[in-house]
Amino acid sequence: MKARLLNLRRTLSALVALTTFAALMGFAGFPGAGLVHSAANLSPIKIGAAGPYSGDLSKIGLDGLNAIRMAVEEANAAGGVRGRKIEIVEADDAGDSSKAILVAEKLAMDRAVLGVVGPMNSSTVEAALPTYQRAGLAIISQSATKPSLTETGYKVMHRICPRDDAQGPASAEFVVEVLKAKSVYIIDDKTAYGQGLSDEVEAALKASGIKTVRSQITLEDRDFSPILTRVKVAKPDLLYLGLANPAQAASIIKQAAGLGISVKLMGGDGLKEKDQLIAGSAGLAEGMYVTTIGRAITEVPEAAEFIRKFEGKFGAMSVFSGQTYEAARILIDAMRRASADPSKLTRALVMEALGKTAGYKGILGFPISFDSKGDVIGAGIYVYQAKGDDFVLVR
Amino acid sequence: MDLFLMQIPQQIVNGVTLGSVYALLALGYSMVYGVLKMLNFAHGSVFMVGAFAGWGALSLLTRGNALTMSPALALLAMVAAGVAATALLGATIERLAYRPLRGGSRMAPLISALGVSIILENAAMLLTSGRAKTYQTELIFPQDWAVHVAGATISATRIAMFASSVAIMILLDMVVSRTKFGRAMRATSQDAEAAEYIGIRTAAVIAGTFIIGSSLAGVAGVMVGLYYTQIDFMIGFSAGLKAFTAAVLGGIGNFRGAAAGGLLLGLAESIGVLIAPPVYKDAIVFAVLIVTLILRPSGLLGKQARARA
Repeated sequence: MKARLLNLRRTLSALVALTTFAALMGFAGFPGAGLVHSAANLSPIKIGAAGPYSGDLSKIGLDGLNAIRMAVEEANAAGGVRGRKIEIVEADDAGDSSKAILVAEKLAMDRAVLGVVGPMNSSTVEAALPTYQRAGLAIISQSATKPSLTETGYKVMHRICPRDDAQGPASAEFVVEVLKAKSVYIIDDKTAYGQGLSDEVEAALKASGIKTVRSQITLEDRDFSPILTRVKVAKPDLLYLGLANPAQAASIIKQAAGLGISVKLMGGDGLKEKDQLIAGSAGLAEGMYVTTIGRAITEVPEAAEFIRKFEGKFGAMSVFSGQTYEAARILIDAMRRASADPSKLTRALVMEALGKTAGYKGILGFPISFDSKGDVIGAGIYVYQAKGDDFVLVR
Repeated sequence: MDLFLMQIPQQIVNGVTLGSVYALLALGYSMVYGVLKMLNFAHGSVFMVGAFAGWGALSLLTRGNALTMSPALALLAMVAAGVAATALLGATIERLAYRPLRGGSRMAPLISALGVSIILENAAMLLTSGRAKTYQTELIFPQDWAVHVAGATISATRIAMFASSVAIMILLDMVVSRTKFGRAMRATSQDAEAAEYIGIRTAAVIAGTFIIGSSLAGVAGVMVGLYYTQIDFMIGFSAGLKAFTAAVLGGIGNFRGAAAGGLLLGLAESIGVLIAPPVYKDAIVFAVLIVTLILRPSGLLGKQARARA
């Protein structure tokens, strides 16, 4: 009995010593630790990061993931969400619809996940939306542009990129007024993004009386000679590439050169990737036009700091790095606004606050607000051209 | 209709180029089947490794955007790297994954082959972070040089591919029909047990067959890299399927059949695109296989295979 009591006392004193030590370390470790003591004791908030981190689209995906990491690191350094730390749950969908559903279910099951940045592709968003809707888990996509995504009444859906039905007519206008092309050959890759964008572009071109021919490839295709032979014979004024993978576009451009095809080139926002399109095509993409949603953030003064930090850490940015960073920051901002008491944060509150995002000024060069469907308001479409080793704004 | 006819010459050129790669791959498939009666499903992955080895050699020889040696030497180095990597890999796979299973169930090596291919693909995925690698073909072959025949453009890359694959096939045919090793190989494929009795070291013959077959895949890998200008860890999958199809089409186990099957398959794929949308090109390939198997279950040259092999 006595031995036991002694043991107990020893344990108690050890505990006291430990707590004192921990508290001292805490105060010494970082100032303000005492202030947010209660909040810091709360479990961390988790943010899902869904995107293609392996497979064909992994370059874009991983650069996006790095941008999310940066946004979260910065937010945590600034106190997290009212004192609660933020953690990232990586959800690799490999750009594949069926995997997108699986990782959505994984995120939905983890009750600590209160919001998701991504998925990045229209096809993966489309596939995973019902799952996120059932879980009441808000998503904010940086790059899914298919129009129907916000038209089917899914309340969880938000995006900060304009839709293809804005990009389509703008592209067609440029083709008609500036390039004065009479015939256009369109190749799409059967993805929700590539096919959807191409549908919009084709419809807008046809409405302007332009002759169009359309063919499809798949993301897995490596040999484009058969389709390019068709292009060669059709002799279009412009070849439009509605593709999700800039590396694939570069490969098409190189193979076209091997077939002696020389034609003006144009593509959507997904192809504006320096490393893969310009370097990857060994300069053959010179003169190619790409439409973008919003201005390149390299031209936005507010983004200079982000670019310097990002490129210093991870190397050259991909087309969606800035948008992904912004999407993550908007989500975190919504979480901070969602509830004054960080312990009472729920998915529903985060979703509500995210939907109410209005006039958010970040690095994209325009204030971001969502309409009732979750579409972004205020973004414009710009046309860039590949010149030398970069893209320059032409319209 | 006019547009349709105008495509024909170019599509034939496309088909022959692609067909020469399929033929090289199908030969490797057929050789292994000939001596072992097993389908080497890891063949496509070996091809992928060859493509990466060639890419590695090219990147080592490139400083900025220029080669550090003459294009011909660089090409030779790439092919050497591809062949060295695949020959070594082929021998290793045979030793570790197939030889221990010999004499057992016929299914065992097949499953083992699938396992090897999964391991290789995933290893390549991890090593490359799943990213595609670009072959700087323009450093090796002049991109602005091409032969124009009847409206078809034949680039230097295509000519080199076709010529080297024909040369390799002729060389292989000579090895098989004229050398001692070729005779031993034919004997082993006819009856391994009997070959062993008359003093042929069949284990060495089988290993040799794997090395030769894998080397062919290595050459094909470098070719495809230069032709498609881009490779990734998944290229082996569809290439393996096509090679298998070509081998079966020609009569599996028959070398000349494999070469013919490869060329035919490449042509079918390109010509088929004339009538069907390009997105169905793979469907066309497999339709050709199904029809052939219905009409000639042992493949195009299958009969001769039994008489010769």
